[in-house]
Amino acid sequence: MTGRRTGRALLAGALLLGPLLAGCGVRPSLVITGRPAVSGPAQGVGLYLVAQGELVLVLRPARGDSSPTKALALLAAGPQPNERDQGLTSDVPTGLNPVVEVTPTAGRFGGLTVRVTGTAQALSPTATDQIICTVSDAAAQAGVVASSGPVTIVGSDGAQPARRCPAR
Amino acid sequence: MTFWRSVAAQASSLRVRLLLAFALLGVTTTAVVASGSYFQARTVILQQAQDAAVMSLTDQLTKVYPIAQLPPTQNDLDLLAQRLSDREGFAVVIYRDMRAQGSQTPAPLSPELRAEVGDGQIAWQRVSQDGRPWLLIGTQLRLERPDGTAHPSGLEVYSVRDLVPEQQSIDQLATRAWWTGGLSLLLAVLLALLSARGVLRPVRDLGRAARRLGEGDLSTRLTVRGVDELADVARTFNDTAGTLERQVGELRRMESDARRFVADVSHELRTPLAAMTAVTDVLDEEAEHLPGDAGRAARLVSQETQNLTHLVNDLIEISRFDSGTARLALDDVDVGAAVTATLRIRGWTDRVRADLPPAVVARLDPRRLDVIVANLVGNAFRHGAEPVTVRVSADPDWVTIEVADQGPGLDPEVLPHVFDRFYKADTARTRSEGSGLGLAISWENARLHRHGERRGALVAGNAPGGGAVFTLRLPRETTDTGGAR
Repeated sequence: MTGRRTGRALLAGALLLGPLLAGCGVRPSLVITGRPAVSGPAQGVGLYLVAQGELVLVLRPARGDSSPTKALALLAAGPQPNERDQGLTSDVPTGLNPVVEVTPTAGRFGGLTVRVTGTAQALSPTATDQIICTVSDAAAQAGVVASSGPVTIVGSDGAQPARRCPAR
Repeated sequence: MTFWRSVAAQASSLRVRLLLAFALLGVTTTAVVASGSYFQARTVILQQAQDAAVMSLTDQLTKVYPIAQLPPTQNDLDLLAQRLSDREGFAVVIYRDMRAQGSQTPAPLSPELRAEVGDGQIAWQRVSQDGRPWLLIGTQLRLERPDGTAHPSGLEVYSVRDLVPEQQSIDQLATRAWWTGGLSLLLAVLLALLSARGVLRPVRDLGRAARRLGEGDLSTRLTVRGVDELADVARTFNDTAGTLERQVGELRRMESDARRFVADVSHELRTPLAAMTAVTDVLDEEAEHLPGDAGRAARLVSQETQNLTHLVNDLIEISRFDSGTARLALDDVDVGAAVTATLRIRGWTDRVRADLPPAVVARLDPRRLDVIVANLVGNAFRHGAEPVTVRVSADPDWVTIEVADQGPGLDPEVLPHVFDRFYKADTARTRSEGSGLGLAISWENARLHRHGERRGALVAGNAPGGGAVFTLRLPRETTDTGGAR
């Protein structure tokens, strides 16, 4: 009887003092999340290059015209030396001469069409994604269409189905 | 084992139990309150520090925009990290495989934090490194589009802040909580001691009074203080003691009435008995000449009158003992000579084997010694069997006289009642030769002899070889203390 009572008292004491002794000071915590990350405006022409199979956004200082066609021309020209140094490549073949057309019927919320000089079917999926993302980004920047609009690539051998940029 | 039992007895005493209960209560309350406020204050302190740090980081980061070039050069990253570092902490800027850091301290970035930041949220985490608490805040730098969406730029900024100032103020809180706890424990112990004194003093008084009552002081009363349960107990105790005193007084009065009655009756009988004795003396002389039944009747009347005189004298003697008026007539007596005289007067010298060392002198009442020895030897003849032995021995403090016979001895059932008044060992023999008061008077006579703590005694028993043994022990020095019983 006495033993059981003593045991109970000890248990109560341990329950009371345990957290006090264990929980002093600043304890490490789990990861706490808050608001969405900081965001702000970008300046320059955005291009999508490739690094380790992923699309990577590259900003280049804008010189004059920053239309979607100009952005595509920069993309087709390939990575610059400093970008190449950091392992960035491009799947888009040089000399593609792409031209962007805004689909007239769709208006501001319509799709975009990119006309290339070579064959559209020969473009790799990565190259297609690069073109689509770059053009829709530039079009949104220029205020032509919504950046999430679908993009169609048309070549000498016909058109690829309209797609949206996967890098979001 | 005994030690633990005594410890357990100590621990279960009322004072200790009160002390423990109060201490436990005080400590529990303080622990709950202090730890509650401690945890709350700690949460508030940390939350404020974290919120302020996140706020200042986001403020600083808005000044980084607009971003003009991606991918950045190592130089860009270093510059950014330098700009974001101050004396409260430093920044780590990461772009893909590139990394710039505003301090030499390695930043303990955890994979979970990196994952949360990679998901596009501002995330923070407290970690401990080298025993120091750190706060890590991480965020991506995202690029806004005119349509309101934002894209990750691939830049991640982590701010690493030292939480030592917060730790110090939290430690101060803890120290204060411990002090509060200690003080409240002290206060609880003081309160417990105070209230234990308040409860225990009446209990101690009650115990003392009960002991005095048990020792026979029936006039013991308690002072009733207050109106609580303990006062109730004291009142009940007083009532009980009062009733007890009244009833014992009543019994004593009745007993002394009965004794006085016996004494009065005995005295009243003395005068007519004296007259009757005179008449029977004459009858005794004439009995020789009376014929047949008349002569036998005359002798019977004479014998019974003698017995009655004996009985009345014994009763008067007993009532003197009871009223405490019996007095000793002390003298320096040679015990051996006194015993010899007793035997000789009664004509028993030839029938008794006497072992009497010479020159055993004691101060006692010779008449009472004679009464005791005569009674014991007479009983031995009457109830036991010859030979009867009387042995006197002495040491510096005591004189011992043993009277033994060779009879069947005393029945163990009889032994405790041998000295009772009118006790008949043999119920069939309703009338014995004696008055039935002889041994009782001997016992009272023996007890009358006392010197300081030593008090005379008469003990009955059986010898190992059979036969009853009566042992009389008297102190060698007797001071007459009157009839004190």
